[in-house]
Amino acid sequence: MKLGKRWLPAHILVWTYAVLLIVPLYYFLASAFKSNEEIFAHPFALPESFGFGNFRTAYDSADLGTAVVNSALVTVLALALTLLLALPAAFALARSTGRLASAMEQVFSLGFLIPTFAALFPTFLLAAATGLFHTRLFMVFFLPATAMPLSVVILVQFMRTIPREMEEAARMDGASTYTVLRHIYIPMCLPGIATVLLLNFLTFWNEYLYSLIIIGPDPEQRTVQVALPTLKAITGTDYGVLTAGTVLTLIPVWVVYTVLQKRMQQALINGAVKA
Amino acid sequence: MTTLTSPPGGAAIRHPAPPATTGRTGTPRQGGTILAIPALVWYAVFMIGPVIAIFVIAALHWPGMLQPVSFAGLGNVRTVLDDPVFWDAVRNTAVQLAVALPIMIVCAYMLGYYVAQKPPGHRVIRYLLFIPGLISTPAKAMVFYAALSPDGLANGALQSVGLGSLTDAWLASPSTALACLIALDVWSGIGFTAVLFAARLDSVPDDLGEAAQLDGAGHWRTMWRIHFPVIRDYVGVVTMLQFLWTLFGSAQHVLLLTQGGPGSSSTTLSFLVYQKAFIAADLGYSQTVGVILFLAGLVGLLAIRRAFRQNY
Repeated sequence: MKLGKRWLPAHILVWTYAVLLIVPLYYFLASAFKSNEEIFAHPFALPESFGFGNFRTAYDSADLGTAVVNSALVTVLALALTLLLALPAAFALARSTGRLASAMEQVFSLGFLIPTFAALFPTFLLAAATGLFHTRLFMVFFLPATAMPLSVVILVQFMRTIPREMEEAARMDGASTYTVLRHIYIPMCLPGIATVLLLNFLTFWNEYLYSLIIIGPDPEQRTVQVALPTLKAITGTDYGVLTAGTVLTLIPVWVVYTVLQKRMQQALINGAVKA
Repeated sequence: MTTLTSPPGGAAIRHPAPPATTGRTGTPRQGGTILAIPALVWYAVFMIGPVIAIFVIAALHWPGMLQPVSFAGLGNVRTVLDDPVFWDAVRNTAVQLAVALPIMIVCAYMLGYYVAQKPPGHRVIRYLLFIPGLISTPAKAMVFYAALSPDGLANGALQSVGLGSLTDAWLASPSTALACLIALDVWSGIGFTAVLFAARLDSVPDDLGEAAQLDGAGHWRTMWRIHFPVIRDYVGVVTMLQFLWTLFGSAQHVLLLTQGGPGSSSTTLSFLVYQKAFIAADLGYSQTVGVILFLAGLVGLLAIRRAFRQNY
């Protein structure tokens, strides 16, 4: 399609927004290498030196090392549990034509309407009742449940595209249900599984409010997202340290995004529009 | 959703006897449904259970974790409705939705349309637009905290262009605290929503726009009169999502940036749920607001659905 001169205002507006996205991030990245005086005096200038002092301070004062390990642990275990639960469920629902199965699918899709946030307090009670309050373990159990509607719906859609003949042929050769799932459905749904993994990786890694309440402030247990805001209180108003800490927590997500850009975008698009 | 992968003719050749096929695979399929049970149970315990509990707790008088609990019936509703802070929160939430949603959806649609036309540099733009979608809430809040603090980016920029008189303690001033939260929503929401629209517009056939332009329609007309109606349903879905994210998600931003203050100038309904439960320890009150929020979400969803269905 031709883009004539009349598109000039559009170009200008779009790039203005792009600048609005970049400038705070640039300011942030640059500040991570600066001292407070430098930030206040020259907010937009490049840092005078690229020392990692701020990163070190942030890392030490908020126990970011332990926090990163905790986050990674919670994220990976929750992802594994999500797949363990969602794959068989999606497999069953995709192949069934019965009324029970379609009712179950309905129940999962209705999950999109549940505002997880509002149930924060009852979830807190549940954690207390199970004796898992103030542990990472509860988050490992809890996060997959929140991911279930989305994961099941996406996987069912992928599994429906697998031709029935594949399964029928395998059945004739004497394959069990488990073999069919393991050797036909899972390999053929890898794009769907990747979508679910990436999407949930982002949500699990970035989860804040539930982690804050359930895991609590214990530096041994808390995740990066909970540790990060504490920098604000610990460092007072040392913006260099604050921004350095924030940059540290963004690195894993940014690396994954840059490497898997196309796939990640597709995952986010699929995930956001769920139905 | 089922997709037809082969034309009806081809399917008929491959299945000479369809009834036999269904009969043969019927038994294992029935048994297979059991595999969905663990996921369903998990989901019921951690999600459906707590949601039902909101409604139960809302009917209780429970003035603190270790306090005796008694049945309150509709007593909490009366307390909530008599509380001026609740009405401040209603007003703030209404303002937030009324300002953020239209700006976000209209700008994101136009931006998405722009990107879908593949102008020079559209790949860079696409990459950038996703960034806010990747950043966690605390990180976003820290960006805004550093940018809007008295010695931060915003004031620095104002000073450097000679508008030093306009500087303010943005997050600590009652007149700007809510506006900052809305700005954060819009800043991070537009990009992500735009990519969603761009992805959907990519699948609209090119001929459609070209035909319209041959008929003399300008870009503005093509954008709003041709493409918009085609993806109207999708716009509805995205609007519903943004509505829910704004309605329920604001608690985290408020908690991290302003704590609802100064006074109650930036208290939103979802922050009120948090604040009453975990700071004020008035659990019945908190969950009553939770129920109200839930119902508001439901009503809003139905209204948005209706708005995007009519004239279609």
